[in-house]
Amino acid sequence: MGFFYISDDASVEGWERSDDIAMLVAGGDIDYDASPQLRERLADQIHSGARRLVLDLSKVTFIDSTAIGVLVGAVMRLHEEGGGSLAVVCAEENRRVLRIFEIAGLDSMIAVHRTREEALLELTTAG
Amino acid sequence: MRATVEQGGASRATSELRLPALPSELRLAREYAHRAAAAFGFDAERCHEVAFAVNEAATNAIRHGRPDEHGHIHLSAVSDGDRLTLTVRDYGTFVASAAGAAPSPEGGRGFALMAGLMDTVQLCVSPGSTTVRLSKARV
Repeated sequence: MGFFYISDDASVEGWERSDDIAMLVAGGDIDYDASPQLRERLADQIHSGARRLVLDLSKVTFIDSTAIGVLVGAVMRLHEEGGGSLAVVCAEENRRVLRIFEIAGLDSMIAVHRTREEALLELTTAG
Repeated sequence: MRATVEQGGASRATSELRLPALPSELRLAREYAHRAAAAFGFDAERCHEVAFAVNEAATNAIRHGRPDEHGHIHLSAVSDGDRLTLTVRDYGTFVASAAGAAPSPEGGRGFALMAGLMDTVQLCVSPGSTTVRLSKARV
């Protein structure tokens, strides 16, 4: 496997943790080998009651179509569970990952923000 | 893993990689494609595009195809004049749903992504083998 990590040890200044909102940070290569871990972590959060998920992919060095499928799957799972949102964060500097999102048409399915703050604001003001 | 390089003339260079058909080997497929693209003279961005496309084809071969009798899928890189062509071959017979034109919400984006990153994507299907050819020309 290539190097990959995912953690829920993430924070944003001024943001207080709640059961409803979860923030995850992933980095490294998310390929077919690593995407099951991403799927599990997102499913765990949804199972634990999180309905608003922020996933920061700014430190991801490679992403493939299976990982994009996992993101879409998480949104479907939230809908099945009665509603919720997934907001993806990818910093402006990470042009490679943003380009893949663009070609895959991810923006039409999932909100992609440039910062965690922007994603949180969107999730909290959208209710 | 075995890699062989054969030089076939001034304007044509070929290399080949036989890779165990395991998800954990995909990183090596990306590295192989990246090296071939760099040796061809592509810049970092185009090397990444080639590596991404080959990763998608290799993922399909591992997920949906069959390996050879030694458990390998076959990758090759051919530079011919101004064109670099990477191929990924497995030994299963392609089933159309793997490249379906109407993707399921969670899958089916691989071919569209390959097409978005390479100049041409060809799928060659014969009984007992499936080959994806990915080409990119020097601008």
